[in-house]
Amino acid sequence: MSETALEGAFTPSVLHRATVVCGRVALLLAKRVLMLFVLLAVVFAAIQLLPGDAASATSDRGESAADIAARRHQLGLDRPVWIRFWEWITALPTGNLGTSARGQRVTDLLSAPFPNTILLGGTAFALTVVAALALGCWAAARPGGVVDRVIGLASTAAFALPEFVVSVGLLLALSLWTGWLPAATTTSADGSPASWTMLVMPVLALAVPQTGWNTRVVRAALTDQAKAPHVEAAHLDGLPSRRILLRHQLPGALPAIATGIATSTGMLLGGAVVVETLFNYPGIGTVLAGAIGDRDTPVIAGVVACAGAVISLVLLLADLIRARTLGARP
Amino acid sequence: MWSEDDVNLNRRQVLWAGGSIGAAALLSACSGSKNAGSSGPEGAPQQGGTLRVGALGHASAITRDPHGNQGNESDYLIIALVYDTLTAPGLKQNTVDRLASGWTPSKDLGTWRFTIAKGATFHDGTPVTADDVAWSLRRLRNTPAGAARLPGIQAKNITSDGKDTVVLVSDYANGELPLLTRLTTFVLKKDTPEKDIAKAPGTGPFKLDWYRGGNARLLRNEHWYRGRVHLDAIEVTMFESPQAMANALLSGQIDVASNAGAVAARTAAARTDIQVIRRPNDMAMPIVMRTADGPFADPRVRAAMKLVVDREAMVKQVLSGYGSVANDILGTGDPQYAKDIPQRRRDLAKAEQLLAEAKFDLSRTYDLVTTEDIAGLAESATLFAAQAREAGIKVNVVKQESGTFYDRTWLKGDFYTNYWGTNDSVVFFASKTMVTGAGQNEAGWSDPQFDQAYRQVIGTADDKARATALHELQQIEYDRSGYLLWGMADGIDLATYKVHGLPKLPGYGRVQLENVWLSR
Repeated sequence: MSETALEGAFTPSVLHRATVVCGRVALLLAKRVLMLFVLLAVVFAAIQLLPGDAASATSDRGESAADIAARRHQLGLDRPVWIRFWEWITALPTGNLGTSARGQRVTDLLSAPFPNTILLGGTAFALTVVAALALGCWAAARPGGVVDRVIGLASTAAFALPEFVVSVGLLLALSLWTGWLPAATTTSADGSPASWTMLVMPVLALAVPQTGWNTRVVRAALTDQAKAPHVEAAHLDGLPSRRILLRHQLPGALPAIATGIATSTGMLLGGAVVVETLFNYPGIGTVLAGAIGDRDTPVIAGVVACAGAVISLVLLLADLIRARTLGARP
Repeated sequence: MWSEDDVNLNRRQVLWAGGSIGAAALLSACSGSKNAGSSGPEGAPQQGGTLRVGALGHASAITRDPHGNQGNESDYLIIALVYDTLTAPGLKQNTVDRLASGWTPSKDLGTWRFTIAKGATFHDGTPVTADDVAWSLRRLRNTPAGAARLPGIQAKNITSDGKDTVVLVSDYANGELPLLTRLTTFVLKKDTPEKDIAKAPGTGPFKLDWYRGGNARLLRNEHWYRGRVHLDAIEVTMFESPQAMANALLSGQIDVASNAGAVAARTAAARTDIQVIRRPNDMAMPIVMRTADGPFADPRVRAAMKLVVDREAMVKQVLSGYGSVANDILGTGDPQYAKDIPQRRRDLAKAEQLLAEAKFDLSRTYDLVTTEDIAGLAESATLFAAQAREAGIKVNVVKQESGTFYDRTWLKGDFYTNYWGTNDSVVFFASKTMVTGAGQNEAGWSDPQFDQAYRQVIGTADDKARATALHELQQIEYDRSGYLLWGMADGIDLATYKVHGLPKLPGYGRVQLENVWLSR
């Protein structure tokens, strides 16, 4: 973008630049949509390959083979998988996610859990970003110092901890032993957690391992930048090291940091399956776990579509940040 | 999990726990006074309060239709509090009255007339008519699961007669027909449109305040025809796992953890502020041996296997002691269960002799297929394998994922574990799993003498003759069926001590909360 920057004052080129950016975003978006489409096709195919189907999984035990066949027909499972996929995917743009094997609309099944998971994942994500940046910068401020070594060890340890272990530790320490926080999430009439205190432990359980990972990323990216000529020049100019860190190292490190944090989105949503179950948090992770047991394709695909859309969006933002900082083609 | 007619529950939905929804109810709910099968100290019930109940369920499996296949215990609980069934399970009798105050068969036991309880009204105040009941039963019968829930009763043979009588005509003589109406015959108003089913008024002890994502709040029905309800409200919270549910109870977020299972009970046993409510005969976890063909076709081999198992050790280790030893006859909660048939005990010498007589191949290794669908099931297979080894029989435990198991092993395999939630009758198990050609004849069993005893039981009106035939049936089952039933797991609810009047019957019994009260 450097050449366009030189002539940035001229309106036509501003217009041109806007078009280029829009084009790039559209291209990126199209790529992500295509990936999501392929992913959903794979989901349909994978469920098809599992033994059993939704008709038998949701049947009463007393049902005869004929009863189950009737249910199979009722659910449309007697038609080829690619037709079912096509019908489902073409209805998707209208906001219709189909019907669960037990007769509930998938949009109804997800209407409360999806915002809940966004709240949980979003809070954990924000906490991860802030904590990772703060810790990473703090560690990078004096490379090799005590703080750097402690943070390095702690973040490695935190990343190595599975969400399950963090959750159980939190449960024991903050709830069952001390009684400070509620152990499980209950909901109010609108389907959201009854109290914000119920978010604390699930958020921490998700954020701790991801903060560990991202602190390492931030620290490493800042170290790379420390060797950059302009940073060395700044040191020679005698600028305060904090200012160099924040003004000179950090901007250059942003692309790597953004990519690292963006990949955490997937990990956060993946971890949500475990964390939501342990804390009884009513999100899409729990919906997904149950739906797989039921071979309930529309529900599984609905969850994947929602989660996929969120992850795609975050990756898109990361791409844009990278593109903007590097001035390179994304 | 499934029991009888019922079977609201589908097979894979109970991945959580020793979750059985079996059956049960209150015996004399009319006066709202104490009932035989409930917990807590005696004393005058106090009025008021909100009971917070945790029940297991998966968000993906939510079902609002009272006639749908409820995979979630939480959904079934909510539905059972809002709607009434025609009859209900009982402690001293298999079937007790509910929305139907009584029933009478024709001489040939083919036609049954049910009388609707006096004063029964829907939550909006309109009286319940025979038309409403007949419509609801026909709607139930016309679901894909209908034939399994009301076997032998065609939709066209469900009719109303006058304002308060419903007539059910069975395709064959069936002395046990009222038992079929205990668990799924929820009554809605006639012609309720499909889109309003979830919000349709019921006749039950509680009215729906709100329902969202598996959780609900229910308010007392002030005008319940069966008497006074003590609680102001019930809040139901759905839990994905028994562990989370137990944690919620321990941290004071709920008052009752319904069907929490043995593991949670062990944790709670150390706490002085939690009561463990055991509901005996909740779940059968038999080992099934194929009788039609294969290595277990010889009845002597099956008898030997039944002598190899150490039943006390199984109950102690697999069920953590929360259960009782059984005697290879299914239907242990039945008031007419044959308690006089001698308890089978471990006898390795006799077993080895029988195996030798039957020329059983001891050089081979036999696969015992199991799942982890409910707590303890896979452990039961492993422990049995260890016990069999002591008798020189090599058993290899094969764990299958639930879907794979039901697709490939169930009803087909030579040797596998399975489970049934029950206080269902002996006859129920005979009809579903042992009579020649039964839909779930898990062991591929066909025994003319057994079939004859069964036909006699369901076709005989005379109590004494029926009892004789029923005993004969149990003796044959004990002698040579494909079931090795080593024990029965207790149903386990956990509650704080302020909760009184919780039901003690197995399975579905835990949902009957109308007599519960809170002390303050």
